Amino acid sequence: MAFQLLLNFFIALVWMFMSTSFTASTFIIGFLIGLLLIIMTRRFFSDRLYIWRLWATLKLALLFFKELTLSNISVLQVVLRPKMNIQPMIFALPTDLEHDWEITLLSSLITLTPGTIVLNVSDDQKTLYIHAIDVDDVDDAIDSIKNSFEKAIKEVSRP
Amino acid sequence: MKTNDVILQTTTKLVFFIIFLFSIHIFFAGHYTPGGGFVGGLLTTGAIVLLLLAFDLKTVQKALPFNFTIVTGIGLLLALGTAAGSIFFNVPFFTHAFDDFTLPLFGTTSLHTAMIFDAGVYLVVVGAAVTMIQTIGGDA
Repeated sequence: MAFQLLLNFFIALVWMFMSTSFTASTFIIGFLIGLLLIIMTRRFFSDRLYIWRLWATLKLALLFFKELTLSNISVLQVVLRPKMNIQPMIFALPTDLEHDWEITLLSSLITLTPGTIVLNVSDDQKTLYIHAIDVDDVDDAIDSIKNSFEKAIKEVSRP
Repeated sequence: MKTNDVILQTTTKLVFFIIFLFSIHIFFAGHYTPGGGFVGGLLTTGAIVLLLLAFDLKTVQKALPFNFTIVTGIGLLLALGTAAGSIFFNVPFFTHAFDDFTLPLFGTTSLHTAMIFDAGVYLVVVGAAVTMIQTIGGDA
C-alpha cells in the first residue's frame, strides 16, 4: 500500500519534471497517469491495489457515522425512558486483530459510539473488556461489534 | 505489575507529532499573532511529557538522546549572542535588526534577529522544564 502510493507520487513528480510545469494541476494529471500505470501493472505487486484500501477506509468512516447516529438514538431512548429497566453489563470481546493500531482503532470506535466503553485490553491483546449500558444478549452484542467494526477494520488492514 | 497500555501508547505515537508540529507553529507565529518562544517551548515540553506518561523514562531518554541541561545552555548562549551581536555594529546592546528576504517556497519573508533570541528562549524553556521533570521522575 505505502509502496504503491509512494510510486504514484514519484510518477507524478517525474511527470511534473518532464513537462517542466510545477503546478498543482500538472501534479494531479501526473498522479492520474501514474494511477493508470499502476492499475495496468497491478499483477507485479504482492499487495492489492491501494485504492481498494482507501475505499475500505472510507467505508469504515461511513460505518462509524452510521453506528454513531443509531447508537446515539438508542441511548437517547434509554435516557428518556421513565422506568429504569436497563441491563448494564461488562463482557469480554475476543478479538483476532493483531496490530497495535488495529486494536486502538477498534477500542476507539467502540468507545466513541455511545452506550459502550472499552475498559481494558488484556495483556496478550486478545480480549477487550467492554462495558455496555443496555444489553439483552451478550452473544448478540459481541456479534454486532465483530460483524461491523472488526470486519471493516480487517478489510482496511488486509494486505 | 505490567499493564497493557496499547491504546495509550499507539495514540501517543500519533498525537506527539501533532502537538510538536503545533508547538513549532506557535513558535513561528509569535511575531504577528499570539505565540512565541515561551508557549512554544512549553508545548514542546508538553509533548515530551506525554511521551513520558505513555512510556517509561528510559525509553524516552533513548528516543530523545539530548542532554537537556546542555539544551538550556545552548539556549542561553543564543539569547546572549543575539544581544551581544549588536555591539559589533556600534549600536546599543539588544538592538535588533531586520530585513525582507525573498526565500524559495516562502516568498518575501521579513527575517528579524528577535527570532534568534526567541529560539534561545524556546530552548531554555524546553531544556529547563524537561530537566526538572526528568530529575523529579528519575532515581538519580
